[in-house]
Amino acid sequence: MRCRRLTAALALALGTAPLAAQQPSAGERLPVVKYVLPNGMTFLLLRKEGAPTVSFVTQFRAGGVDEWTGISGTAHLFEHMLFKGTPTLGTRDYAAEQRMFPRIDTVADSLTAEFRKGASADTTVMARLRARLRALEDSARQYVVSNELDRVLTENGAQNLNASTSNDGTNYYFALPANRAELWFVLESDRVRNPVLREFYSERDVVMEERRLRVETQPMGLLREEFSEAAFRVHPYGRPVVGFASEVQTLSRNAVLEYFHKYYGPNNAVVAITGDIDTTQMKRWADQYFANIPAGEPYRPVVTQEPPQHGERRIEVEYDANPFVLIGYHVPNAVHADAPALRVLASILTGGRTSRLVQRLVVRDHWAAQVSAGQAPGARYPRLFMFGAAPIAPHTTQEIEGAIYEELERLQREPPTDFEMQRIRNSAEYGSLSRLDNAFYLAIQLASSEALWNDWTRTFRDDGAVQRVTAEDVQRVARTYFSRTNRTVATLVRPPRPAPLGGTN
Amino acid sequence: MATTLRPVAAAALLAAASLALAAPASAQQDTRARVQQMVAQFQPLRFTPPTPRQVRLSNGVQVFLQEDHSLPLLNVNLVRKVGVVNLPDSLWAAGWQADGLMRTGGTTTLPPDSVDRLVEFYALGLGFQTGYEESSAYVSGLSRHRDVMLGLLFDMLRNPRNDSSRIRETIAQVEESWRRRNDQPASILNRAWNQVMYGDHPLAKTMSTPEEARTLTPDRLRTVDAMLFCPDRMIVGVTGDFDTRAMIAKLEESFRGWGRCPAGMRPTPPVRYPQGPRVVLIEKDVNQSNIQMGQAGGIRVANTPEYFAAQVADFLLGGGGGFNSRLLQRVRSDSGFAYGAYSNWGAETDREGIFAASAATRANKTVGAIALMQTVIASMVSEPVTASDVRLAQDNETNSFIFGFESPAQIVGRQIAYALDGLPANWFDLYLRGIQTVTPEQVRQVVERYLHSDRLITVVVGNPTAFDRPLSTLGPVTTMRVEDIRR
Repeated sequence: MRCRRLTAALALALGTAPLAAQQPSAGERLPVVKYVLPNGMTFLLLRKEGAPTVSFVTQFRAGGVDEWTGISGTAHLFEHMLFKGTPTLGTRDYAAEQRMFPRIDTVADSLTAEFRKGASADTTVMARLRARLRALEDSARQYVVSNELDRVLTENGAQNLNASTSNDGTNYYFALPANRAELWFVLESDRVRNPVLREFYSERDVVMEERRLRVETQPMGLLREEFSEAAFRVHPYGRPVVGFASEVQTLSRNAVLEYFHKYYGPNNAVVAITGDIDTTQMKRWADQYFANIPAGEPYRPVVTQEPPQHGERRIEVEYDANPFVLIGYHVPNAVHADAPALRVLASILTGGRTSRLVQRLVVRDHWAAQVSAGQAPGARYPRLFMFGAAPIAPHTTQEIEGAIYEELERLQREPPTDFEMQRIRNSAEYGSLSRLDNAFYLAIQLASSEALWNDWTRTFRDDGAVQRVTAEDVQRVARTYFSRTNRTVATLVRPPRPAPLGGTN
Repeated sequence: MATTLRPVAAAALLAAASLALAAPASAQQDTRARVQQMVAQFQPLRFTPPTPRQVRLSNGVQVFLQEDHSLPLLNVNLVRKVGVVNLPDSLWAAGWQADGLMRTGGTTTLPPDSVDRLVEFYALGLGFQTGYEESSAYVSGLSRHRDVMLGLLFDMLRNPRNDSSRIRETIAQVEESWRRRNDQPASILNRAWNQVMYGDHPLAKTMSTPEEARTLTPDRLRTVDAMLFCPDRMIVGVTGDFDTRAMIAKLEESFRGWGRCPAGMRPTPPVRYPQGPRVVLIEKDVNQSNIQMGQAGGIRVANTPEYFAAQVADFLLGGGGGFNSRLLQRVRSDSGFAYGAYSNWGAETDREGIFAASAATRANKTVGAIALMQTVIASMVSEPVTASDVRLAQDNETNSFIFGFESPAQIVGRQIAYALDGLPANWFDLYLRGIQTVTPEQVRQVVERYLHSDRLITVVVGNPTAFDRPLSTLGPVTTMRVEDIRR
């Protein structure tokens, strides 16, 4: 077999691997055309060879962090509402619908008023109001053509139709056959200008189900939520994007509309269009459909900063499931000069079977079912460098923690090896190319980079930056950020005895 | 517009006024009318899908190749239509763990650590998959590493070591997965569902037990590796930055001397699905119930009006139709009962599959939601789909076919799938044509014949003390303890 030749090839590559010079990465060299309308709406247009399809991504600088107290989950609920139509799509009689909204909202407001009484709220009154709310909204459905936007897109063969909300922003996307590209302009310009929040309260229930699905019935979802809340005491990164249950249940149509008016101006939107396009035609349609939307308020980043942490924070989350541990250290945002070295550090410790922690805890000692590292819960603001690990019984989260701290201390003392550094450079080179393969994924990356940093090339520059990180850089960031006082630890533990069966509906 | 809402009325009115001044007449049009007008005028899409190159190696292995030099990347896949179900029962667990150990267990000449270092140094995506009835191997990486990629992949395929240190690692992992198997409601539902629907059939198994894992030995694993990965009826797909002629020569070299497959595989044992109606409850203290209901599907994949009608029925009930499918419309949009509500009318080329519908709903709507789902399934007969419904499914197929040709990997992958299933190479065209000929009457007939909402088997994971009403109002309930879910 080829073992000797392979080993020889490895030695050769280690000795002679070329270090990427300061030349732009393949992503930075993409022929993206940036087109900004007078109202500030930004279009990134990229013609890509391949099948006649076009991918569209609209990212708004409006995310979970932009909510205010009492309305957590609004960014996400609004994302759902943007599929509900406009005055001329999704309705049989918009005037009749409009007349019903205040009546429905009044009942919803009364329900919230009762809910606000907390322990002294009258559950009978609440049940009656809930039934009334439901009956009224059901009655309004006679005027609704439910999911008409979805129907038009389904008929026309749209793919990847979805949206997602994060702490930093909200994305709306789908792809169309190239001959139907103009449809996106008609539909998107209509809904971002004139969203109608019909079927609002039943959709609020849907979001509550989403919260139960992702958080309340998922040990990891619950652990992650409480971990962020513990690590961020001030900055909104501590709030769950899906929202707190009490607040989601009481969100009002007005509050959600207020959020829309505040953040959904065209100047807050970045659109990426990739695939089989004629860029001149795209610009013409951009002008025709979007130029007359008046600019909104300029985006103002969150003023709140997380104060330095003054001591280790530890929490436990009890749940009837096997243990898991999350460990987080406060680190700067994604474009800070130390960010590339932190990415390399994550890869040295958990990037594959040869990485230090996987090698030790999973491959050698069989202490952990898995161990991983990454940065979350956003990119725009200072965030967390996180470890997550599941112990293999009888080993404990404490033992895993100890091993992670030992490996961090070792990195603080000794620099990474040449093999480790070269492996990561090679991986970054592969990643810098494979990320360009898919038109839809490219549109997501372009829109996100431009929305976050006003620079679509920014995300691709990081590929080169990672390749230029030195062993000393890694050691320096290991010493800078990974201290005990900068740490939050959350552990999933089984309650002492099984919780009594009982609903929390 | 936002004019109905008092607190924002002033701002909204202002916005409306400025729009009226600034917008051209066209922007004020009725969007629905405008879309209809536009759709009527779209030019047809002109596109001839590329056909991958197809060759047979001297040992009979079929290869599909499609060059794409837009990026210096290379992907190679090898697939066979045999899996762990086709192994003798005594080798099931070895088959189930074989894929992981082929990746981690080293080769006869390369210790496991060396393989790990090579894979990660060259930034390769390299792995194996031993599924129920299909086994595959893949490698992807920078095209300039072609020889390393193929050399390593074939060494791992042909000379697996299954090092005992890695077997111990696997056993530890299996033991921990077993401990964690009931941590998530969806995992409980999935395993209980398989047990209810497949009984003692090997398709019921979803994981190895620790006892099974402890029987793994290098010899047993090598036996299984050789049975699952061998050249007979193997199909290879290559896409990316390569030269076809050189690649064929390289593949010939890689396969040279690799003998015939050993005997001992069996056809998939016949599947017999249980008869409903039946309600099975698994208690779990969660505030949202996981629900799945279904029955034998009755349909096979074939170029028959019945199969295409079933595909359209599934699309409109809860499959590809998305928000316009009846389940998502009624259970989510109209009722707010669930985030997701789906159906899947499964079918195989050589046997019927399972029809299933699923949703997760808050505990105090559980029984109401189940009843609603049954009603929606029944509505496919009581309120038959209309011509406009069927047109939605057909238009979607016609207009979205292009997305099946976005990448060479997709195009080659589809040809491999057809070849594995014994479908003709032009199955894609036949399928499109088949869907176009479906009539509402055919949909009604296929639903009436095969979907019986009064005979569904329903499995629920949840907390019955919090349900809206007793589950027994749906029929006799069998309670299954989580401990009784065998895997």
